[in-house]
Amino acid sequence: MVNFTVEEIRGLMDNPANIRNMSVIAHVDHGKSTLTDSLVQRAGIISAAKAGEARFTDTRPDEQERGVTIKSTAISLYATLKDAEDLKDIPVKTDKNDFLVNLIDSPGHVDFSSEVTAALRVTDGALVVVDTVEGVCVQTETVLRQALGERIKPVVIINKVDRALLELQVTKEDLYQNFSRVIESVNVVIATYFDKALGDVQVYPDKGTICFGSGLHGWAFTIRQFAARYSKKFGVDKNKLMERLWGDNYFNPATKKWTKSSQHEGKELERSFNSFILDPIFRIFGAVMNFKKDEIPKLLEKLEIKLSGDEKDLEGKQLLKVVMRKFLPAADALLEMMILHLPSPITAQKYRMETLYEGPPDDEAAIAIRDCDAKGTLMLYVSKMVPTSDKGRFYAFGRVFSGTVRSGLKVRIQGPNYTPGKKEDLFVKAIQRTILMMGRNIEPIEDVPAGNILGLVGIDQFLLKSGTLTTSETAHNLKVMKFSVSPVVQRSVEVKNANDLPKLVEGLKRLSKSDPCVLTYIAETGEHVVAGAGELHLEICLKDLEEDHAGVPLRISDPVVGYRETVQEESSMTALSKSPNKHNRLYLKAQPLDEDVAKDIEAGRIGPRDDFKARARILADEHGWDVTDARKIWCFGPDTTGANLLVDQTKAVQYLNEIKDSVVSGFQWATKEGPVAEEPMRSIRFNILDVTLHADAIHRGGGQIIPTARRALYAATLLASPGIQEPVYLCEIQVPEQAMGGIYGVLTRRRGHVFEENQRPGTPLFNVKSYLPVNESFGFTADLRSHTAGQAFPQMVFDHWQVLPGGSPLDKTTKPGQVVEETRKRKGIKPDVPGYENYYDKL
Amino acid sequence: MKAANMLYIVGLGLADEKDVTVKGLEIIRKASRIYLEAYTAILPVDKERLEAYYDRPITIADREMVESSSDTILENADKEDVAFLVVGDPFSATTHTDLLLRARKLSIPTQSIPNASILTAVGATGLSLYTFGQTVSIVFFTDDWRPSSFYDKIAENASLGLHTLLLLDIKVKEPNLQQLARGKIVYEPPRYMTVAQCCIQLLEVEEERKQGICAAEKLAVGIARAGGGEAQKIVAGTLEELAKADLGKPLHSVALCGHRMHEMEWEFVREYAVDQGKFDEIWKREYARKG
Repeated sequence: MVNFTVEEIRGLMDNPANIRNMSVIAHVDHGKSTLTDSLVQRAGIISAAKAGEARFTDTRPDEQERGVTIKSTAISLYATLKDAEDLKDIPVKTDKNDFLVNLIDSPGHVDFSSEVTAALRVTDGALVVVDTVEGVCVQTETVLRQALGERIKPVVIINKVDRALLELQVTKEDLYQNFSRVIESVNVVIATYFDKALGDVQVYPDKGTICFGSGLHGWAFTIRQFAARYSKKFGVDKNKLMERLWGDNYFNPATKKWTKSSQHEGKELERSFNSFILDPIFRIFGAVMNFKKDEIPKLLEKLEIKLSGDEKDLEGKQLLKVVMRKFLPAADALLEMMILHLPSPITAQKYRMETLYEGPPDDEAAIAIRDCDAKGTLMLYVSKMVPTSDKGRFYAFGRVFSGTVRSGLKVRIQGPNYTPGKKEDLFVKAIQRTILMMGRNIEPIEDVPAGNILGLVGIDQFLLKSGTLTTSETAHNLKVMKFSVSPVVQRSVEVKNANDLPKLVEGLKRLSKSDPCVLTYIAETGEHVVAGAGELHLEICLKDLEEDHAGVPLRISDPVVGYRETVQEESSMTALSKSPNKHNRLYLKAQPLDEDVAKDIEAGRIGPRDDFKARARILADEHGWDVTDARKIWCFGPDTTGANLLVDQTKAVQYLNEIKDSVVSGFQWATKEGPVAEEPMRSIRFNILDVTLHADAIHRGGGQIIPTARRALYAATLLASPGIQEPVYLCEIQVPEQAMGGIYGVLTRRRGHVFEENQRPGTPLFNVKSYLPVNESFGFTADLRSHTAGQAFPQMVFDHWQVLPGGSPLDKTTKPGQVVEETRKRKGIKPDVPGYENYYDKL
Repeated sequence: MKAANMLYIVGLGLADEKDVTVKGLEIIRKASRIYLEAYTAILPVDKERLEAYYDRPITIADREMVESSSDTILENADKEDVAFLVVGDPFSATTHTDLLLRARKLSIPTQSIPNASILTAVGATGLSLYTFGQTVSIVFFTDDWRPSSFYDKIAENASLGLHTLLLLDIKVKEPNLQQLARGKIVYEPPRYMTVAQCCIQLLEVEEERKQGICAAEKLAVGIARAGGGEAQKIVAGTLEELAKADLGKPLHSVALCGHRMHEMEWEFVREYAVDQGKFDEIWKREYARKG
């Protein structure tokens, strides 16, 4: 039974100081969805009996089956603080003790990181879930980094404490040390990505930004809660007590005094955290799991826990669950931590505005966002599309940053390529319906003011995946999301039955909409290609395509990897190309772009929309560029954002600005399909050295210049010792010591190499980090399991591009040469790479 | 002795099939292959009428053929005669120098047959050919391509008091640039710039540059279908007036008057004025005896 109504929620929406928008993020299998269940249970959507098993936010049958979250899911919860006195501890003043928590549960598997990115965009805070035993893993770090990049404030729950107690049988001090280690490694990541505007967001147990618990058993606590408990009992100030309940603080029962030293007159003292917090928990565990029937009632009475009639008959784990849940209900701890420590939209949008908005920080839209002004200009970001029960239609899922959106409102729908003042990628349409999204259900709602998360009906036809909705004609876009994963693995699909082709085409469109990261396109050969972040991601996408979006039987090719074309030296001579009418000539050279610059471009730290002077400063100061060159970057490519640059080094060429657009078009074309294998170019800097032009504009139009620019760029590339780059995964494997040998064999066979190997303190588990070419990763998981008797679990996330070793891609006898030939054959172009002479004109 | 075989570039004149010179016609009739260049200018009559009159089959040579596969045109031109027909005069534009250079490289002898060109036919407006400065072309503006370097050239001419002849863009068979940038060639439907459109663009550029070179009250003469006898049409007026003028079918050209415009020129041009009173007034105020 739902214990709140849509009207109640709508009432809360008007009070942004009492709203918390948050994502739950973590490494795969650290227990996000299960934890989320305990929160949903508190809001009353599923019955208490099922919490811990239901995975309310895993709405798809395959998610339930695999026990893996694939799509992020949002729910709105209604919460109050147990003790109204606690309102005073909220940094932004509020006097109403009722809160709206919009929560998004996101996937932990790296292949679905793009879902996390989409979730983070619409939230202000994040609950980071970390497994007590496994600690900080590769995906914990990735999502935390993403969160900090979006200026999302984190709080942490150290989860699965029950495992440490039941399976590892640790002592209290061991557990304390374990907690400290995990917290320290979380804080190391947070400190690495320190952002001045966000301030220090490291997490501390004694400040209440860390929670400990077990999602599966439905219990959790913060030090603050215990401090509150004891402060009433002993009449001590709660805040002082909080500080004393963590770290090197000891209570000496003999002197009744607090001390910083662990010894008193030669006697060992017990750490306050251990004696005041862990002790009752250990005692419950001890009594219940060892079936000490007589002790249990005494303990319960002391801790003021009352069991109902049939609960008293339970035993072992079942009883433990019930007792712990009554003692330390997870939802209480989590909700309190989120309400007290995560920012409200009013607080968050003040510092997030500049990272959210592309336009100037002082225009109408920027100010409305900054103030989270429900009466201001509407600024709404759609971060993803969610399939509806009506096949082929989608809800647009997003966040209102300013203004109020309601059904029937006429809005400007600005896609990612929209530029203010132009009509490209722009629609003006009315919003059909606004809705609340709650796990499996949706509820219609009349209007939604600033600071809230919502769903929209009727926008899906006008936006591909994401975009900005506004009522202002001058508003710029809200920034396009940068994904930490790239679609590096491709598979082509074809229909088994030729008549089904139209269904496939339609299905591909739907697939592309439903996933923030997947790419679908038609190759030159007419093949339909689907590209995803990894094998699992693609598998899920193709399954959706076959069973749902297209609904027709498909033939699916083996996975192939997308390569990048690059150069390894400067062009051996200046490349010259003449326009078809011979009156215009371009002279240019290619040279490798620093890998750091390429990475900065891909991470969005250097981009085409930056102020050119600020960008030049960064390039000069951090990457050693000549400032004059750095200020004369004409464009990025492919797709105007890629990691290739075109630099104007000409001196005093008349009419140059009149051909700039045409050269840029040629550059976009050339960088999208390089000369070697028609793969995209990467990490190349092209310098235009000189240009001669016809005096009259009519003889130097696009028809003359675009193909010439492309030819010159191709010639320059081929003259600069071209190379092929392949994508490489960072692969993290958790494995017990005895199975380590198997890992090395498998990795070596697949051109992988290990660069880090750590034992998890207090566990027999080893954490092995390695680099593994994506091309060698197909079937890797199965291979690894069979060589380690099923004990090794890899997580792979795209990490970097690396030049394929083994010689020139132009030489067919080398490994790169073979890759090029295969790729060209697959694309249906002639297997030989054309020589530079094909693109080079003699003077 | 039989005359050496060669490549002839034959000017066809401006109006129709009958503008060809007698010498040109003789060459066409004896040539083994005949190409008609059909992208820098067009004749207002179709290919069939030319073929009927010349009594010879003609191949249309579009931009791609001339620029990118000129070898087909030059093939065997040293063993048989090839005629390359150009509307107007062969060398009035720089466009065909490349073809001659290629012929030279292949040691193919060439000869060209001159004819009337818009560069001379513009004299029909009454503006003196002696007083023209550099010729410029005006291209169709697009959303993101608005080359305006012609403005500087008109300004140079104007500083000496010279007239400027504006040749107007024609797009007979041009590829769509958006498609071209994706590596595909898709041709756009043919388009021809009109006097009115040209004047609108001039006024737009004036808005940006604000040097008064193409101001709304500057005098200009529009000429359509020059050399076409009855069909020829001339209209004079301010740029603002011409921006609304309709001169009918292509091809159009515009002459922008320099302030050296002589009394005799004025007397001749005023007959074509949209609003004679206004024309006279502006001329007297801004142009008369300023040279």
